[in-house]
Amino acid sequence: MSRSDLAPSVGADLGTPAGSGFFDDLARASLALARRFAAGGTLWCASPGSAFHAHHVAVEFVHPVIMGKRALPAVVVPAGSDLVATLRATVRPGDMVVAVAGAGELDVSEAMRRGPAWGVETVWIGAGPRPPGGAADHVLWLDGGDPLVASEQFVRVYHLLWELTHVCFEHSGLLRPDTCDEEVCITCSDEGRTAEVISVDGTGEALVRTAEGRERIDTTLIDVPRPGDLVLVHAGSAISSLEDDSR
Amino acid sequence: MSGETTDFLYPFIEGDEHDAPSLLADLSRSADAKWNQSEGLRAETLTRIGGQLADVGAAMARCFERGGQLFTFGNGGSATDADDVAQVFTRPPWGEPLPARSLVTDHAVLSALSNDIGFDVVFSRQLEAHGRPGDIALGLSTSGNSENLLMAFRQAARRGMCTVGLSGYDGGRMAQCEELVHCLIVNSDSVHRIQETQAAVAHALWAAVQSEYRPHEGAA
Repeated sequence: MSRSDLAPSVGADLGTPAGSGFFDDLARASLALARRFAAGGTLWCASPGSAFHAHHVAVEFVHPVIMGKRALPAVVVPAGSDLVATLRATVRPGDMVVAVAGAGELDVSEAMRRGPAWGVETVWIGAGPRPPGGAADHVLWLDGGDPLVASEQFVRVYHLLWELTHVCFEHSGLLRPDTCDEEVCITCSDEGRTAEVISVDGTGEALVRTAEGRERIDTTLIDVPRPGDLVLVHAGSAISSLEDDSR
Repeated sequence: MSGETTDFLYPFIEGDEHDAPSLLADLSRSADAKWNQSEGLRAETLTRIGGQLADVGAAMARCFERGGQLFTFGNGGSATDADDVAQVFTRPPWGEPLPARSLVTDHAVLSALSNDIGFDVVFSRQLEAHGRPGDIALGLSTSGNSENLLMAFRQAARRGMCTVGLSGYDGGRMAQCEELVHCLIVNSDSVHRIQETQAAVAHALWAAVQSEYRPHEGAA
């Protein structure tokens, strides 16, 4: 049956997964989540504009609809709370964050870009205009169109994310946390690591948070950063700021 | 991890433990297939129940025109669908905002009722407090068997409310419930696929209400 035969009575503008790579992206995100769950990570769910999506994702993982599937730790970040502040206080390295939100949701992009500093894997589900490249570890994006059809498709996306994650659990050999099959792995290479500034003192040093924990770094090579700023750290020094100078 | 099986979900995936690219390719293919299944069920359902959707939409529009309001409810993922429906009616992407409220959002009320009486009454007791003749009770369930929905429909009928249910499989107990006047059924035996199409049915119902709604002069 071709799509033109389907003739739905509403939402004729059917959004479709953007490009043939969508399901590949979904598969990679599922394996990443399975690895993190297997290592004890918690999934944090946020959807500031439509809180019900975050609740749906969380209940899906905590209390699966299919009997016998294991309960996995997934938590809703309450709508109306400060997303970045809440996640900053609660996430642990090894956790995951999934957001269902448009590319224009500033809270979400601010949370997602902190993923490397917090040591969390990020999944961003949305439709319409895409966030910039690298906005999250996994960007699962739909073409958009009718917002209600997009909302229906988000449900499909996170149902599949759950289903594929559980399929990955049957492949325990692929779930080892030390598995590194990415083309470029920041953790393994000697490139800069992302850090979030916790506090700055007047001595040209700052206390920062990275995926490996808290550390004190030298900041004399860059303009004095502010708490909450992201910086790139190499060999104990901040080598560049990741903040937009136009702030 | 051992002992679990999702073979019935993905019968074509084999258990190779060390070949990530192969697993990813299988996952991608199966997700693509599931997506198309879901899209097929959505289209088939909206076509099959199109006439019923128009009728229920008209009945609900008459309620709204006379000052009625909508109460939505469900359990688990269907609770989130109930929130979705209430949000679409009150803050629509286009058309008239209409009064709607989800009965699953107030944790004080839900925990009080569950603790003092039991979870079966969490929706019916709220309808007893809020429901008026001409209001609408809309409950969603994938199985169609949730006791608290059936009790809510009975309470709603006693109060002269319009009753609307979204169900799955063959409709379950909701299809047999005399107090449930309008039962929209998604014929599938997969909870996930049912839920995905129920979201589309709910949105189609909202669109049907919008196209029928004719507020009277002087109405609020």
